[in-house]
Amino acid sequence: MSEQQTATTSLPRPDQSPWQVRDSRKTRNLVLASVLPAIVSAAIALGMNIDATIAMLLIFVPLQLVSAGFVGYRIFGRKGIADASLVIFTIFFSALVGVLLFSVLFSVITEGAKAISPQFFLQNNVYITSTTSLEYGGVGHAVLGTFIIVGLTTLVTVPLGIALAVYLTETPSKARGAVRTLVQAMSGLPSVVAGLFVYAALISTGFTKYAGWLGSLALIPLMLPTITRVAEEALRLVPVELRNGALALGAPSYRAFFQVTLPAAKSGIITAVLLGIARIIGETAPLLLTVNYANNTVLNPLESMAALPTYIYQNLDSANDTSLQRAWGAALVVLIFVGIIFTAARLATRPKTAKQKVDKNV
Amino acid sequence: MSSVSESSKPVPAKRKLAAKPHLVQDKVFFGVARAAAVGAVGIVGLILAYLLFMSWETLAKQGFNFIFGSQWTAADPENMIFQIGPMLWGSLLIAFNGVILAVPMAIAAAYFIEFLATSRIAKIATTVVDLLAAIPSIVIGLWGVGVFTPVAAHWAELLNQNLGFLPLFKNEAGSFVGSPFIAGWIVAVMIVPIITSVTREIFSQLDRDVINAATALGASRSSTFMKVILPTSSGGIVGGVLLGLGRALGETVAIFFVLNLSFEINWVDVIEGRGGSIASMIVAFFGAATPEEVKALIAAGLVLFVITLLINWLAAVIVAKAQPWRK
Amino acid sequence: MSDLSNAANLSTIEAHLRSEDVNVWFGERHVLRDVSLTFPVNQVTALIGPSGCGKSTFLRTLNRMHELIPSAGFAGRILLDGEDIYEPGVDPTNVRLKIGMVFQKPNPFPTMSIKENVLSGLKLSGRRGYDATEIVETSLRRASIWNEVKDRLGDPATSLSGGQQQRLCIARSLAMNPEVILMDEPCSALDPGSTRRIEETIEELSETMTIVIVTHNMQQAQRVSHQTAFFLAEDGNPGGVVEFGKTEDVFNNPIDLRTNDYVNGHFG
Ligand SMILES: Nc1ncnc2c1ncn2[C@@H]1O[C@H](COP(=O)(O)OP(=O)(O)O)[C@@H](O)[C@H]1O
Ligand SMILES: [Mg+2]
Repeated sequence: MSEQQTATTSLPRPDQSPWQVRDSRKTRNLVLASVLPAIVSAAIALGMNIDATIAMLLIFVPLQLVSAGFVGYRIFGRKGIADASLVIFTIFFSALVGVLLFSVLFSVITEGAKAISPQFFLQNNVYITSTTSLEYGGVGHAVLGTFIIVGLTTLVTVPLGIALAVYLTETPSKARGAVRTLVQAMSGLPSVVAGLFVYAALISTGFTKYAGWLGSLALIPLMLPTITRVAEEALRLVPVELRNGALALGAPSYRAFFQVTLPAAKSGIITAVLLGIARIIGETAPLLLTVNYANNTVLNPLESMAALPTYIYQNLDSANDTSLQRAWGAALVVLIFVGIIFTAARLATRPKTAKQKVDKNV
Repeated sequence: MSSVSESSKPVPAKRKLAAKPHLVQDKVFFGVARAAAVGAVGIVGLILAYLLFMSWETLAKQGFNFIFGSQWTAADPENMIFQIGPMLWGSLLIAFNGVILAVPMAIAAAYFIEFLATSRIAKIATTVVDLLAAIPSIVIGLWGVGVFTPVAAHWAELLNQNLGFLPLFKNEAGSFVGSPFIAGWIVAVMIVPIITSVTREIFSQLDRDVINAATALGASRSSTFMKVILPTSSGGIVGGVLLGLGRALGETVAIFFVLNLSFEINWVDVIEGRGGSIASMIVAFFGAATPEEVKALIAAGLVLFVITLLINWLAAVIVAKAQPWRK
Repeated sequence: MSDLSNAANLSTIEAHLRSEDVNVWFGERHVLRDVSLTFPVNQVTALIGPSGCGKSTFLRTLNRMHELIPSAGFAGRILLDGEDIYEPGVDPTNVRLKIGMVFQKPNPFPTMSIKENVLSGLKLSGRRGYDATEIVETSLRRASIWNEVKDRLGDPATSLSGGQQQRLCIARSLAMNPEVILMDEPCSALDPGSTRRIEETIEELSETMTIVIVTHNMQQAQRVSHQTAFFLAEDGNPGGVVEFGKTEDVFNNPIDLRTNDYVNGHFG
């Protein structure tokens, strides 16, 4: 695998793949076509004291288009001009995506790092006002709250989603299409509406007060479509021959499922659970409407609790320098969790594909 | 000589094949699966029914003005007026704004990943886009408040200074913060990954032979893109854009922090510091809302849900049409 | 003369499994018409015919795998030792315990080791109190693969070659000790060496069990089978049996012209 890749990068590929620019002369030309305009426009911008954004859009990009078009013309003739513009535009907009993401990650990491310290993970928000120094207080209570709220949702939704996936893949029912459509329709439910539903039905009616379990309840319809869709895909990927092989041995359907189909779909199911968690872990609006906040450490889901997203919201809302710093810290913590889930999902799918590759070679 | 087709015997009647499992465990197994289906359908039905039920009073009382009017007062219990015109229009304006900004970025990123980048860079770029999709919206909102708003406000100011003669870039209040333009950017950051991954998938399913044949015939990269790649994948891209639009409409907290909510309708002055968003309005109002007001908020949520459903449904139909190999 | 006369000769032998006027539909499409065949004890029956004529479909009706396809329709009777396996009270899983099946493509369970694969049927049908070591060894020996895998029983089944995987699937079926084994083109995905070994296995197994094998390979049918049924579906019509009799007769003195054409490679 990696051998192949190095081969691709070091050898010029033949015509088979005209899409990949690898010719060193071409690369050099591209560099010339973009470095030169960059220097020129930077010089103009600095020399004439023009706004950087305007310099970028009105000097650098047109200059680059001209120079790249010129290079393209020299190599490919007339059609080279259009090609060069296409490449320039593609790279410009792709780079914009990259810059935006980089900006998000960079600011969360650098700003968040200022707030993070061991105490930030361990302490809660009691006695913390918007002016309290960052040396006190933390997100310990919010981390625990998020674990409990998301955990409760997961506990209910994962079995429900997998059972639904079983219904959609293993039963001959004629209603499957309708059920699938209806469940996937939930993925269009705005999360704030899910929260509002629980709020209106259970809180504003006076049935109960803000509580962690209500948050879990509001998150269920948001998590269910993801888990069901990914789990169904995973079960569908199990070759029908395996299931038939089990049934032909005289297995009842439930054993064929639990001993053959499910183990074969294991990594896909794990991915389904992880993606489901990733889907809801940062949800804020539903929790605002159903759980509210707590500054102390609450482990009882029958009461108001803290959660990471609402902690960020709360600190962002009070719009003060230290509380903003706390919000960044909590955002970093959320991103770390998301990153862990993300990596775990990748790992869950990787060993299997690696094994399959080995199997093919045998 | 007897033959297969000449048989004169009548065709026997079909027999009933075992429809139900024999074993108790199997009955339980399938029973649980069916119960899950019934349960899920029940949840969905319950949510819809409840939203409808709760909205009914408001919708009946306010009539069409609920959608088209621009007033919201719960002060006078005799004459409460709930109208979401500016919020509904604001949600749409921000979503369109976001889509317009996101589409070029998404198509470029997809084209870059599929056709320009080496396989290793393509892999990294794909991961980056997936990662962007996984960032919770509250974090984007935080970034929007702390980092992006000043930058985008500066862009808006430049637009106003240089293109202010266009009605679109008018700004009378002098403040460039809290505008639909900024909210649109925030939403764009959130929907770029969705549109990119749908577009990328469509691109990757294109017939490479056709593309290579076009190049072999001397077509340039750009004419292949305009004449082969875009036309064949346009259906799928439109589907992806609609999916993004659905997501954009439901976005709440990120917009809540960067947008200045106003019940004075803002038609197209995107860089003016006031706008609307149904989702943000719900967050802003629910805490102090009277029971009637809560019902009105629910009706607003229902309107948002129905629009999102229609858009998602349209997107699903279009994507399925554009990707027949998926079925 | 009708082909029924050959079948009459055969029916003097003790019938183990027997199909009576089997008809099959997929949805509204009638794909098999009035198939009546007799499978005597410890005999190998080959089902031949051009592809798409319904051989696999017929084979699947013999152990009720057919009904797993949602649109499946069925009429007629399948008698195992004189009892109709499609009677309402019969549990299809019990039928499949007695009538094992080997598929065209080897399908060992990828999440299990070689040993676990052999024992999988016992586990899957909820049996207890068996001597695992012994069953593993005898099953693998009967499927003539013991010597190749005895030192690596814990390896994943997917680490075996295609031919070995297919023999493992046969061993997996044998571990259940079925009375009948159905094989659907078991060698079509295998190299000549593996094919040879499986044919030898079939010959040995036929001493103790009834075997029905679908094959596209005329030589294979002649080498391993005692009797042969030739299936044919003529354009648009449901498939059916054109000729059924002793293998030598079907191949050397076919009664029907179409059989003659087919076994001599003129079509299909
Ligand atoms: N699952 C199915 N659904 C619908 N039609 C099927 C299915 N399986 C097989 N058929 C049809 O039944 C006929 C017989 O198929 P098959 O038994 O597989 O033929 P053979 O094994 O002789 O090649 C074919 O026309 C095929 O198209
Ligand atoms: Mg077949």
